[in-house]
Amino acid sequence: MTTFEAELAHELRSLPTAAPAGLRERVRALGEPEPRRTFPAFGWRRAALVLVPACLAAVVSAAAIDGLLSSRASHQDSSREFAKLNQHGATGSGSVNSLPSRSALSPSAPVHGSTPLGIPTPSTTRHQDYQADLRVRVDDLESLGRKTAQAMQVTRGLGGYVASVSQSSERGEPGEADLVLRVPVSSVEDAMIQLSALGTVLEQHVSIVDLENTVRQQRQHVRALQLQIVRLTAALRQSLPADVRLRLQFQLDDARRNLRAATGARKATLREAALSRISLALTTEHAAATATHHRGRFGNAVSAAVGFLEGAGAIALTALIVLAPLALIVALVLWGVRTVRRRTADRVLAAS
Amino acid sequence: MWDVNAAATMPALASASPSFASVAEAELDAVHAYLLFLTGDRAVAEDLAGETFEKALRTWRRFDPRRGTARAWLCAIARNSALDHFRSEQRRRRREEHYARDVSTVDDPAWGQGAAAVALRKLPAADREVVALRIVLELDGPTTARLLGITRTACSTRLSRALQRLEELMRDDDV
Repeated sequence: MTTFEAELAHELRSLPTAAPAGLRERVRALGEPEPRRTFPAFGWRRAALVLVPACLAAVVSAAAIDGLLSSRASHQDSSREFAKLNQHGATGSGSVNSLPSRSALSPSAPVHGSTPLGIPTPSTTRHQDYQADLRVRVDDLESLGRKTAQAMQVTRGLGGYVASVSQSSERGEPGEADLVLRVPVSSVEDAMIQLSALGTVLEQHVSIVDLENTVRQQRQHVRALQLQIVRLTAALRQSLPADVRLRLQFQLDDARRNLRAATGARKATLREAALSRISLALTTEHAAATATHHRGRFGNAVSAAVGFLEGAGAIALTALIVLAPLALIVALVLWGVRTVRRRTADRVLAAS
Repeated sequence: MWDVNAAATMPALASASPSFASVAEAELDAVHAYLLFLTGDRAVAEDLAGETFEKALRTWRRFDPRRGTARAWLCAIARNSALDHFRSEQRRRRREEHYARDVSTVDDPAWGQGAAAVALRKLPAADREVVALRIVLELDGPTTARLLGITRTACSTRLSRALQRLEELMRDDDV
C-alpha cells in the first residue's frame, strides 16, 4: 500500500460514519430471537460424509444377506437333489453331482407309481402314451459306442425295438449318440432302470398322456359302424325298389369303408399305448451346470452377492445417466439466475 | 466512529455461537458505515440499517458462523435492502420524471466536508461500496467478492479503480 493509500484509508476510516444513538436504541430494542433449534444442523459435506458410507454399507449388507439367502436356498435344493439321486441306486457309476431328474406329467394322466429312480411308471389298467427323454453322460468316446450297443441290447431284451440310432464321435468334439427306443409299456420300468445305469443321468423327462378316452371313443365308433352294417345288410335281404336298394348299397359301402378306417385307427392307438417311446441321448460332454454345484455354499453366496451388487450398480448407473442432464440443467439455470441478479444489481448501483 | 477492533473479535464470537444482541451491538456501526457509503444519504442509511437488523433478527437461525463472519452476513442483508431501496427509488423517480443522479444534492452531507468526503460524493455507488467493504470495514478479498457476487480478481480490479478515481477526484479538488 502506498503512502497516499495509507493516508486515504486512515482518512476514510476517520469519517463520521458511526450509527446515531436513535438507531442504536432501536436495534437494542429488537432483543433476542427465539431459541435455536435443538437438533444440530448438518452441512451438505458432513451429511455426504455420513450418508454415502451409510448407503454403501446398506447396499453391501443387502448384497450379503441376498447372497446368504440364495446360498441357503441353493443348499436346500442341492440336499433335495442329493437325496433324490441317492434313490437312484441303479445309476451305478453315476455321480451324485449330476443334474436332478425332472418329470413332466400330463395333468390328466393317472400315474400308477414310480420306479426306484423316481420316474413315474405307466398304469397297468389304462391305455397311456408313455414317452421319456433320457440324457446320460458316459466316460469317453470308447465307452460311448459300447454303451450305445448295450442300450440296443437292453431294448431288444425287453421285447422292444430300436426305432432309430445315430452316433457321432469325432476326436476333439464331445461324442453324442441319439437313440429312439420302443419298449413295451409293461417293461418300461426295467428299461429306464437299465438305461440309467449306462452312465450319469444328466437329465430325464417323462411324459404320460392318458389315451383311455380316445380308445373308448374309437371302440364306440367301431361298434356303431358294425351295427349300421348289420342293419343295412338285413335291409338289403328284403325285396326293395331298385332306387332304394341302390341307395342302401351305397350306404353299406361307406359304412364298411369307415369301419376299416376306424379299426385301423383303433389298432394304431392300442399299438401306441402298448409301446413306450424312449429318446435316449448318450454324451461324453460334461454338463456345465454341474460345475456350479462344486462352488460350495460360500462360493454360491459370494456369487449371489456379486450379482446383487452388479444389479445395484446398474441401477445406480442408469439413475446417474438419467439424472446427470437434469442436474446440468438445474446448475445452468442457477448460474443464469445468479448472473442476471448480479448484472441487475450492477445496473441499479450504476444508476444510483 | 465504530470500534475497529470488533472485526478482530468476530472469530471468537463465531466460535462461541454469539447472541444476536451482542452481534448487533458489535456490528451496528460497521453496517451503518457500509450503508452510508453505499447510499450517500444519512437518513436512508439509518433506515436501511434498522431494516437490516430487523431482517437479521427474523433470519438469525439461518446464520452459520462456520460459513462466514457475522459482519459479512449482515452486509449481505444490508446490500439486498439497499438494492431494493435503489430499485424502488428509480421507479419512483421515473414516475415523477425527476431523475437526480448527483448525490451532492443531498442536503445533509453524509461524510462531512473534508477532501475525502467531497471526493466520495462524486464516486459511483459501486465504487463507494467496494471501498467501504475493503477499506473501511476491512473485509478480506474473498468475503467481499462473495458478497458482491463477483470474482476475487474483479473485486481487486474494482477496488483499485475506485481508489484511483478517488485519488484523482481529491487531486482535482485540491487544484
